[in-house]
Amino acid sequence: MNTWKKFASIGLAAVMAVSMAACGSNGAGGNAESGSDSGEAQKLTLILRAGAYGDSLKAALPAFEEEHNVECEVLELSFDDLHTNIALDAVNAEGAYDLCMVDGSWMAEFTENNVLANLSDLGYSFDDDIIEPTTAICKVGEDIYLAPYYGNVTVLMYNKQLVEAAGYAPEDIQTFEDIMDIATKTAESGKQGFLIRGGSADNILSDFLSHLLVHGGWVVDDNNQPTVNTPEFKAAMEEYLALYKTGGTLDKDDIVASVSNGETAMAQIWPGWYVPTADGSANYTVIPTKLNDSDTEKNTALYGIWTIGIPNNSQNKELAMELLEYVMSPEVQKESIAAGGVPCRESCLLDPEILAEYPHLETVCGALQSGVYRPVIEEWTEFTNILGTEMDYIIQGSKTIDQGLADAQSQLENLMAG
Amino acid sequence: MKSQTAKLAASSSASRFGKAMIAPTLLVMLVMTAYPLVFTLFYSFTDYNYLKGTDKASFVLFDNFTSLFANGYFRQAVVNTIVFTLLAVLFEMALGLLAAVFVNGLTRGQKMMRTLLLLPYLLPAVTVALSWRMMLSSNYGIVNQALSALGLPVFNWFMDTKTAFGTILLIDVWQNVPFVFLLLYASLQSVSESQYEAARIDGAGAIQRFRYVTLPNIKGSLALCALLRTIDTFRLFEKVNVLTGGGPAGTTSTITQYLYNYGIKSLDFGFGSAGAIVMTLLVLILSSVYIKRAMS
Repeated sequence: MNTWKKFASIGLAAVMAVSMAACGSNGAGGNAESGSDSGEAQKLTLILRAGAYGDSLKAALPAFEEEHNVECEVLELSFDDLHTNIALDAVNAEGAYDLCMVDGSWMAEFTENNVLANLSDLGYSFDDDIIEPTTAICKVGEDIYLAPYYGNVTVLMYNKQLVEAAGYAPEDIQTFEDIMDIATKTAESGKQGFLIRGGSADNILSDFLSHLLVHGGWVVDDNNQPTVNTPEFKAAMEEYLALYKTGGTLDKDDIVASVSNGETAMAQIWPGWYVPTADGSANYTVIPTKLNDSDTEKNTALYGIWTIGIPNNSQNKELAMELLEYVMSPEVQKESIAAGGVPCRESCLLDPEILAEYPHLETVCGALQSGVYRPVIEEWTEFTNILGTEMDYIIQGSKTIDQGLADAQSQLENLMAG
Repeated sequence: MKSQTAKLAASSSASRFGKAMIAPTLLVMLVMTAYPLVFTLFYSFTDYNYLKGTDKASFVLFDNFTSLFANGYFRQAVVNTIVFTLLAVLFEMALGLLAAVFVNGLTRGQKMMRTLLLLPYLLPAVTVALSWRMMLSSNYGIVNQALSALGLPVFNWFMDTKTAFGTILLIDVWQNVPFVFLLLYASLQSVSESQYEAARIDGAGAIQRFRYVTLPNIKGSLALCALLRTIDTFRLFEKVNVLTGGGPAGTTSTITQYLYNYGIKSLDFGFGSAGAIVMTLLVLILSSVYIKRAMS
């Protein structure tokens, strides 16, 4: 019996040793033999934002894979999961990802903590065709860390029939007073005037920022100190609540469905949510830049641009750089439009051939030329959580505007004081 | 004397063998349970941010805990979680017991009913959340369409402060009643038929048989069910995160959702660890009644 036990133990130990050796040799062998020199395809791992943003980039991969003898593995994640996964991998000496999609609001946090590689050092530079304001947050000093890949910028979605019924042509929507007028008339006719997005604090805040900008306010001052308990913020909040009362709060799928099926006149959306067609019931236009006719023009469209960068701990930086340059090239960007892409390049967005098929891209181009990024501060995630939550309390009537803004201001001051 | 020495040697050998057999389990427990717990407790006293690394973390003693308790959103999340847990466990236990007694009493079709009743529990929480979101959509949801067709008022289920909490509660109860049903059904199967017969001979009615025969026989399973459901419900996250994000106006925020927003998303693991410790203590307090009963 004892002899049998000994044999069984030795056998099990041998199996374990062989398994471990096999696991180890797989990785080592893979590294030693990978690369184009050996004829085997190299591997790049991409971590992208799920949806139209990632899909448009994925569409460009087969040609690059064939041309460079590379195999690209793509991981597509939601907004929060993408941020968490990039951050979790950033502390490893050898990173798992070679190219990542980054939201502009994460830029400060990522560059402060050395998450992203310096693209200038890798030989990348912007050309004149890229819409210049979209590169505003991509640099630290003169060094480039990100490239603006997907031109996500807020636009005003409207139902053609309801806007016409309110006595407006789309090109007549020039001010926020016009939006209020259409929304009020639509609500009086028994439909919904304007929808705002509920759910996370980030949703609530992002949709509101255009309204704040048109009132001349902003969430931080030049020294990145919170400025939410201000007359401008209060005026914007009052106007936003008045709009909310003509409609309601829904999530993004319901918002798009409601406007396109004629239940609601207008809502603020991102281009990736809806692609208008010539015979469709809905379309979108730029968000007005003035409060009323006597107001001066301001930049009111909010950027939600999906940029691409290379993690600093990528093991294939040079190849990843080639991929980045490839997907940022005018030809590939133009081709990405068919896959739902929205380039940040004027040559693509204003191409007559493209506009004949996708006329809405002229609107997007206009919005991209005058957009505003969210503040580039390291604490933006917490900042959004606090401000968005207080705004939600105000919108739902749990707090008055004065109370909510005062609470937000004091909490944000504490946050920024560290 | 020789036989005594041999007995001692055999006993010592058995003891060593026993310890050797327990060792792997102990090792796994130490690595998988004790280490994370100690790690979490340790970091709850620091300002550790994951991206900045442990080098830049410093001890802040009880600062994270005082910040937590001073935070209105956290207090609201604690109240929501406790109320949600109590209501969910109550409804799940009541409906699960009802279903178990009903199916156990069936003379035909028990297997089919058992399988059908189990289906919701087999689905992942995120799938359940997304399915309900579609059904309760204000625009294309079947529920609002049915209400509208019947001339009844329709609701914005997840975005209205009056309905959001109740809707999440309903979905959670719907998904977890089968778990309670399964445990209690198995327990009911082991109740001897002779006890019911004796009760019948003594003239006991259905309610009396349930009260004096069924309940005493399954009370252990009831306590275990309540304990497991309390612990599980306290960790409610996926449904809230997918359906409401904790809104509207914080009415559906839970402790886990709060920790996700303010600890995980911002990578402030020190703060998040403090929240996790508080949550563990709250679960232990809530579960202590059941644990005490189980231990006795």
